[in-house]
Amino acid sequence: MKALGRVIASAAAAAMLMQCGCAGKQIVRSQKEQTVISLAWWGNDPRTEYTLKAVRVFEELHPDIKVKCNYSEWSGYEARNRIRMVSETETDVMQINVGWLDDFSKDGTGYYDLNEVSDVLDLTNFPEDTLKYGTRNGVLNAIPVAMNTETVYINKTIFEEHGLGVPQTWDDMFAAADVLSKDGIYPLCGASKAIWLYSIAYTEQKTGRTFFDKNGAIAFTPDELKVMIEFYNEMVDRKVIPKIEDFKKVNVENGTCAGAVAWVSDAINYFGKPIERGEEVIAADYTAFSPADSGAGWYEKPATLYAMSKNTAHPKEAAQLLDFLLNNKKMALLQGVEKGIPISKSAKDYLDEAGQLSGLQYEASIVMDDNANLREMSPLIENIDLINGFNYAANLVLYDKATAEEAAQQLYDTYAESFDMAGVD
Amino acid sequence: MAKREQSRPSLKNIRRLQLSMIIGYAVIIIAVVFIVTNLAVKKTDTALKNEVISMSSSLNVQMKLNMDSYISRMETIGTLAFGSADAYTYDATDPNNDEYGAINTEKAITEKLFSLCIMDNFCDYGIVYRNNRTVGKISNGTSSLMGDAMYEELSSMITRQRTHDGWCAGYKGDLKRIYYVKRVHDNAVLVMSFYTSELEAVFDNPETLADMDIRLVDSNYDILYSSRGEETGKHLPSAIIERVEGKTSAAVMDDRYLVSVNACVDDWYIICSIPTRIILNEKNDMQYYIYMAGFVAALLAVLLATVLSLRMIRPVKRAVAALDNKANSDQLTGILNKLAFNGRASERLDSSLSIERHALILLDLDNFKGVNDTLGHAYGDKVLAKTGSILRAEFSTDDFLGRIGGDEFCVLVNSSPSDDTDYEDFIRAKCEALCNAYRNYYSGDDRSYKISASIGVSFFPEHGSTFEALYAASDKALYSAKKGGKDNFAFYSGSESGEVSDE
Repeated sequence: MKALGRVIASAAAAAMLMQCGCAGKQIVRSQKEQTVISLAWWGNDPRTEYTLKAVRVFEELHPDIKVKCNYSEWSGYEARNRIRMVSETETDVMQINVGWLDDFSKDGTGYYDLNEVSDVLDLTNFPEDTLKYGTRNGVLNAIPVAMNTETVYINKTIFEEHGLGVPQTWDDMFAAADVLSKDGIYPLCGASKAIWLYSIAYTEQKTGRTFFDKNGAIAFTPDELKVMIEFYNEMVDRKVIPKIEDFKKVNVENGTCAGAVAWVSDAINYFGKPIERGEEVIAADYTAFSPADSGAGWYEKPATLYAMSKNTAHPKEAAQLLDFLLNNKKMALLQGVEKGIPISKSAKDYLDEAGQLSGLQYEASIVMDDNANLREMSPLIENIDLINGFNYAANLVLYDKATAEEAAQQLYDTYAESFDMAGVD
Repeated sequence: MAKREQSRPSLKNIRRLQLSMIIGYAVIIIAVVFIVTNLAVKKTDTALKNEVISMSSSLNVQMKLNMDSYISRMETIGTLAFGSADAYTYDATDPNNDEYGAINTEKAITEKLFSLCIMDNFCDYGIVYRNNRTVGKISNGTSSLMGDAMYEELSSMITRQRTHDGWCAGYKGDLKRIYYVKRVHDNAVLVMSFYTSELEAVFDNPETLADMDIRLVDSNYDILYSSRGEETGKHLPSAIIERVEGKTSAAVMDDRYLVSVNACVDDWYIICSIPTRIILNEKNDMQYYIYMAGFVAALLAVLLATVLSLRMIRPVKRAVAALDNKANSDQLTGILNKLAFNGRASERLDSSLSIERHALILLDLDNFKGVNDTLGHAYGDKVLAKTGSILRAEFSTDDFLGRIGGDEFCVLVNSSPSDDTDYEDFIRAKCEALCNAYRNYYSGDDRSYKISASIGVSFFPEHGSTFEALYAASDKALYSAKKGGKDNFAFYSGSESGEVSDE
């Protein structure tokens, strides 16, 4: 009985101790702590959809990181980026245009030095000569995703229905307009920047002068600007293109425009529906006075680049995201050739293995790669003020508010207020 | 063993009582523990469910507030477009417009609209005129989706007559965008749209409720947004609909689902749901542990009760065993007394099947009276004790041994030969061994007094199936053995006559 007594006493003591231990005990539940970084991009619906998917994949791979997304279509994005950059509220990782490097980081200090995160970001996938596009003052500010150029896309089905071959020269284009306009069809169309670059190509071929000189100053004189304005107005008058104010992508989709000048990366965005309908769309030669000159006056550039904020509080996590966007297999397969053929070797290899190196976008990339006349684009040529100024001047002539000479001189003077001018010979 | 065997019936009742006590105690303890545990679980279950419903309801209200706030902000941004006089006075359909002037006015309006929406992830923020001319930001996606019918399609989205505006999701089954449309004037509407995925930020829920499905549905219960992305565009599962149908603000919980609903803008509803087993997962675990703890407590209590009862019963059993032993044993020989032997033997024979074999051996000491008379009762007692020893030595513990008279002993043989020996030969050998045991036995100080025994044997079931019948048969056989000169044994043959008569 003594032993039994000891057992009961021990049990009672243990119960009391447990009771004491539980009473008033503080309960602590730790919350999942995540590093929040932000990502910004512009693009059409498909790009936004696959990028959002990719971000979810990234978050699954890195449950300790939350990515806040900031995105919209191109229109207005450039101004938004400017506000974010100058107010220092830019996202940790951002898709940028090559021109913005000169706008915000001429000395290489406007964006993060990506060499500092090369332990996380695999730079070995990128040849040195491609990294130079994102390098300013010796500092690697951005990584190019793919190369890009304005391309002439032709809906061959519509052309052939009207007995027309694929246009190669400026004259072909005007001749096609003479035929197609009878049915209310334009052989070409394009957004303001595309038509701006198309007009520059014409003028450079016609005058033999480049828009910029080697020092980055505007080399066009009022004479060349007059050629540009007259060329644009002639295209509008002879119904080669609709006015840029009237450009609607839907007109490419519904066949009102049988062709378009658009980026390599916009091929499917523009022509996805006609291709779905079974129409044959091709990436034609760059328009020139003769087929042999195709590509003269045309420029190529990185399609887009990825950069990191110089102010990022989480460089490691931002670099992880950047590496994922550029080199990860799942990202590569989601992105496909939407931005063109990836420069990242691993991303390109993944696409090759998956048989995704095909389609109109890929064909446009091949046309670009095969053309030896294309030159590296000066970032300044995409400056929105240059383009808006040109549109304004062209409209002055189009609506008989000024002569071509007057408008060209006025445009030259406007440019001279804000840009370096090489001067009149 | 024989003693234990013989005392068993007396202790059986105590064991039975002990077992009944333990079982009864166990049943009471288990029942009490179960009832108390169940009551505690039910009470905490109810309290917990109320808390969970309240929490879910709060989450839903928070989501509604988030959504209302988001919607209100969007509408405010839309209203800002009216800050520019051009935006609501310019009419692109006016045939009197100067084309150049119109272009410049449209550019001015566009710049104004862009400046208002520049920092938001809008797909569209622009004005669409009756002739489908647009200013501001009109996305390629919307242009493709609506084509030439853009103005009419957008106008049809206006549902609120006081403010001339309205919301639309799932236009032509496309749930990528959500539209807000507001009339600008008779020939123009303002359109704003954003990607449905933007609602992820609106409906972002805490990690602890990551399993909660949060959906935005329209009045037909078609899903406009779901935290489970793949569900968007589908009809709300019927199991959820039947719990919230007709309700505008409620939380419902049953065995399958916890569902809460709140109405928000334009007959849209925010519906949060989670399977009950998931939200109450911890409660289920806790319930399991409580029941397990109750079970273990009951088990320990039963074990304790068993140990206690064993310890309490042990001295009683000892006393009873001692008393039982005294009551059933012959103190001189250590074997059963007459009453105990008769009872055991009768009981055993009554329960035996006819295929079983038993032998009833009746042993009577020859000339025992002479021992008492000649050598004294002390020597007589020694002879009796010796007889008890001889019997115990010769028979197994399965056999019943008894002293049924002054010098008369009886054995009910229950054991069987271990080999193929004939049963009668087996008994014969036993009888011979008994006789031999006495043949070498002399009593008295000088060991001059010869002791012998006569034995009568009958067999079950040949000579009777009851103790009385077998006893009578063995008695007759004993008589034959005595008559034949004593110091001998005889098997009952059925031809005997007369009664045995000892000294």
